[in-house]
Amino acid sequence: MASIKQLFRRFLERPGSIDLAPHERVVAASRAHEERLKDLAELPAPSMDDLAEFCAIAREAADRALGLRPYDVQLVGTLAMLSGNVAEMATGEGKTLSGAIAAAGYALRGRRVHVISVNDYLARRDAEWMEPLYTALGVSVGWIGQTSTPEERRAAYERDVTYGSVSEIGFDVLRDRLRTDVADIVVPEPEVALVDEADSVLVDEARVPLVLAGATDPGDAVPEMAALVRQLVQGYHYETDDQRRNVHLTSKGIDTVERALDVELYDEPATLAEVSLALHAHALLTKDVDYIVRDGKVHLINPSRGRVALLQRWPDGLQAAVEAKEALPASETGEILDSITVQGLITRYPERCGMTGTAVAVGDELREFYDLQVAAVPPNRPIVRQDAPDRLFEFAMDRDLALVEEIVEAHSTGRPILVGTLDVAESERLAMNLSGRGLECVVLNAKNDAEEASIIAAAGERGAITVSTQMAGRGTDIRLGDGVDDLGGLYVIGSGRHTSSRLDDQLRGRAGRQGDPGGSVFFVSGEDDLITHYVSDEYTSGVPSQRLVGHAQRVAEGVNTQIHRNTWRYTRLLERQRDQVLERRGRVLRGRTAGDAMAEALPERWAEVVEAAGEDAAHASARQVVLFHLDRCWSEHLAHLAEVREGIHLRVLGRASPIDEFHKEAVTAYQRLLAEIESRSLATFETAPVTADGLDLEEEGLKRPTATWTYLVQDNPFGSEWERIAGRLASKIRRR
Amino acid sequence: MLTAFTRAFRTPDLRKKLLFTLGIIALFRLGSVLPTPGVHTENIALCLKDAQAGSSSNIYGMVQLFSGGALLKLSVFALGIMPYITASIILQLLVVVIPRLEALKKEGQAGQSKITQYTRYLTVGLAILQSTAFIALARSGQLFPGCQQDVLLDKDNVFSIVTMVLTMTAGTAVVMWLGEIITDRGVGNGMSILIFTQVIAVFPAELLRIAQTKGYFVFAVVMAVGIAMIALVVMVEQAQRRIPVQYAKRMVGRRMYGGTSTYIPLKVNQAGIIPVIFASSLLYLPQLVTTLFSNTQEEPNAIVQWINQNLVTGDTPVYMATFFLLIVFFTYFYVSITFNPVEVADNMKKYGGFIPGIRPGRPTAEYLSYVLSRLTAPGSLYLGLISMVPIVALALVGASQNFPFGGTSILIMVGVGLDTVKQIESQLQQRNYEGFLK
Repeated sequence: MASIKQLFRRFLERPGSIDLAPHERVVAASRAHEERLKDLAELPAPSMDDLAEFCAIAREAADRALGLRPYDVQLVGTLAMLSGNVAEMATGEGKTLSGAIAAAGYALRGRRVHVISVNDYLARRDAEWMEPLYTALGVSVGWIGQTSTPEERRAAYERDVTYGSVSEIGFDVLRDRLRTDVADIVVPEPEVALVDEADSVLVDEARVPLVLAGATDPGDAVPEMAALVRQLVQGYHYETDDQRRNVHLTSKGIDTVERALDVELYDEPATLAEVSLALHAHALLTKDVDYIVRDGKVHLINPSRGRVALLQRWPDGLQAAVEAKEALPASETGEILDSITVQGLITRYPERCGMTGTAVAVGDELREFYDLQVAAVPPNRPIVRQDAPDRLFEFAMDRDLALVEEIVEAHSTGRPILVGTLDVAESERLAMNLSGRGLECVVLNAKNDAEEASIIAAAGERGAITVSTQMAGRGTDIRLGDGVDDLGGLYVIGSGRHTSSRLDDQLRGRAGRQGDPGGSVFFVSGEDDLITHYVSDEYTSGVPSQRLVGHAQRVAEGVNTQIHRNTWRYTRLLERQRDQVLERRGRVLRGRTAGDAMAEALPERWAEVVEAAGEDAAHASARQVVLFHLDRCWSEHLAHLAEVREGIHLRVLGRASPIDEFHKEAVTAYQRLLAEIESRSLATFETAPVTADGLDLEEEGLKRPTATWTYLVQDNPFGSEWERIAGRLASKIRRR
Repeated sequence: MLTAFTRAFRTPDLRKKLLFTLGIIALFRLGSVLPTPGVHTENIALCLKDAQAGSSSNIYGMVQLFSGGALLKLSVFALGIMPYITASIILQLLVVVIPRLEALKKEGQAGQSKITQYTRYLTVGLAILQSTAFIALARSGQLFPGCQQDVLLDKDNVFSIVTMVLTMTAGTAVVMWLGEIITDRGVGNGMSILIFTQVIAVFPAELLRIAQTKGYFVFAVVMAVGIAMIALVVMVEQAQRRIPVQYAKRMVGRRMYGGTSTYIPLKVNQAGIIPVIFASSLLYLPQLVTTLFSNTQEEPNAIVQWINQNLVTGDTPVYMATFFLLIVFFTYFYVSITFNPVEVADNMKKYGGFIPGIRPGRPTAEYLSYVLSRLTAPGSLYLGLISMVPIVALALVGASQNFPFGGTSILIMVGVGLDTVKQIESQLQQRNYEGFLK
């Protein structure tokens, strides 16, 4: 990296630098390069000299168009991205500009670039902010968001550079896979992916596959179930596991429920499912932590971002159960139509690169899952932020008191304070405590995300107190107000450690940007979820040690990596199957394969239809029929495999590998799937009425995609054979 | 199985993996016959011949089996994969005992790779110990008790002795690495494949010996019985009882296929090969005892005499019966340790699973242990009978301990073979699709 830096330093410092050139000449210089490159039949790999010269031009363009003159280290970041790496740049170093220059660089090489970020807010902000730079370099730019219409999306995707959140781009890809008309497809062939906040997108988001679901019918969760489980007592009627991922009835609970409903639960899977769902909604999902209720609807909160996930819903009737719990009318239930993992999405792009403030910690995962290397870029100015050691408490109540004290004390000097909380409920509780002490604070959480920009803009002013969930923890740039420097800059307080040290570092990174002064501290108690969920067997009471907190965080990170790896291992085969199905689907959609197959299999019916409706209409209806059944069967295939996946870990008891067994089941199911599509299509075509206008499938109702969800199970909860033996022996020894 | 292999060879990346594995196996065998510098190869060959001719079984039977004859040849890979296996077992036990290791293990991948690193260090430590021990034995002539030849070229040269220890230790580290890269880049589990290699490595020589000494009729009978036994073992190893399980966390929607793919597979031979290894290790004890007593010149007392008559050689009824009973006992013991119905029932309860018609918790655990005990009975008899084969063969045709179709060898062979073929098949399946609208 050092040599690259020297290299373009030479360029920038050589006599007769283009520093004095007028604006137009910058554009002309970049155009000239473009012309030269366009003349070549095949693009050569750019030499370092070309890249350095491009950086020099882009620096000028940024200076003139945006009034921002990129520092050397920002251009080092650009170079790292242009050579296909993930650039780790300290928080506050101006990644947005580096990324925009890199995106323009790829665009000028004739590639179409998707800048993939974590949320719509950042996508839109960056696209609009950087637009003058792109214009100066002769590159067109667009963005997409949750509310974009199909026309806006198509227009945005046609630009050289498109900004969008990973879920929006993912959903567009998923929706395109279900189009029944070529003209409706919006996403072009993938070429370059530039991932902003790469660790968040590629690692945190990747645990959960993006799932497209179509609404089927209104949910039918019974309100009585919600009322019934509300009477049950935790610990007596039901129990949850340490990490609060699962809940189950005790035998007392089973008795109570069976008496109340007058059924034998374990002979009635349907009733049991209703009870389980109601119990899950009651015991494991908490209002204002996992979801909020707004406008009479249940909205999920994305745990790693603290934002409302508009298009996210719980699977398999859980959504309806939560609605019943909150006494809201049941919304429609979803049925999974298609899914894709973040890996599947990102690895579609032949060229990928990224940037983030915290990449080194996930370097192994980026290499394992995406074949990406991390390039650490040094900060422009050394960070002078003072990171205090964690303040540790035994009880959450003591911690909360001390937290308020700390805020009161820091506020008395006028220093701006940003408090990061772990969930919505906590942010509101803290705001109430503060107003009890006569302090006014601004709360930013999933409930008022509309005011995000204005809250962030004021957060660095003298005397500001901002309480926020993880929403403010990433990508936001808090500028210091006048005179704040002398007070010690922004003071960041975390009300608890996150499940990943990267999230902590991101929160800290809101202070001390670009060599500004700043400070940070975390308040941790032994009652925090991090401790009780992950190291419950090592910690009983007393003030937890710093080592224990770090250990708990590493356990949590390990668990999450394992979930990520399992998600990927189990979906890899599925995505390969999907690719094959899509290839066939593409041929049906774009060609006459379906009609030809029908003509061959059902010659009489085919002749009849051609006679009645004409050849084009016959082909069109054959296409409609096959596409319908193909999508239908794929959705059923997914549901079947989700079910297989759930119990596949039991196979380890027969000394078989769950993943191999899963593959075996998936392959047999896939073969049946293909046969099923064929036979159903033939059956429908045989009987469906075809007119000159084509075929009317409306009555069978192709569902519009609306929702997303996730589902995860652990691969082998029993441990390997040896672990089981050792575990048994240990428990025997300890008992004595 | 053969079709799986031929299809695998037609798939480019699988072919590469298979060839890679075969290459590593070849390297491994090369190291197993390559003598350590300082060994007198002619004398070793002479002593080995003596040892095989003598009817007394040697103490290193099991170790020798796993080293594919490399141990007594004092080759570079003499210690084979055993130190690595021992080290993994020790580390697994330590994880339970030492809180710091347990904490590391819970940290997932990063902690696990640290534990793997410790396993490697321990392997090297064990290798130093074992190679020193064996070379000390060789030096004092105790490696081949009946053989008068010097097996080392220069047994008093310290430099030469140290070189030998270092070579064997380095060899063990290389074996460990070979095993790991097979797991990583080849097919199957590296450790198992290497053990498999060593087990079948002695086959050709042993079969040839039978053919030469007993005539071709006996040879043909041995082959026929052997193949029949392999077929039987393959059949029983695949046999399982499937207990259906349902998960009630989701709403029951429309289903295209019957939900029969969620079940607990209970194998007839749930215990695998471990009971046989335990039982034979335990039966070495009397031999060891008598060896200790026979060193003294005194007249052995009645107990030692009885042991000598009944428990040292495998052809006595007492030995056979004891061996059989021990295997049955260890099968039950091992199954009860590895498959804990209460734990399985608890886990199912935790994740919302149940056996249709049976309540979760204790009723489920009771049901599971009922089915399990019904399965373990025939399973233990089967293991016992299979393991008796080499002993019976020993009595009938005078084969040696290395008798190729011995119970342990066949169980290892079939076990590893089945696992590997299954893995290849599953990889093949992922690559080959056929169907509608091609």
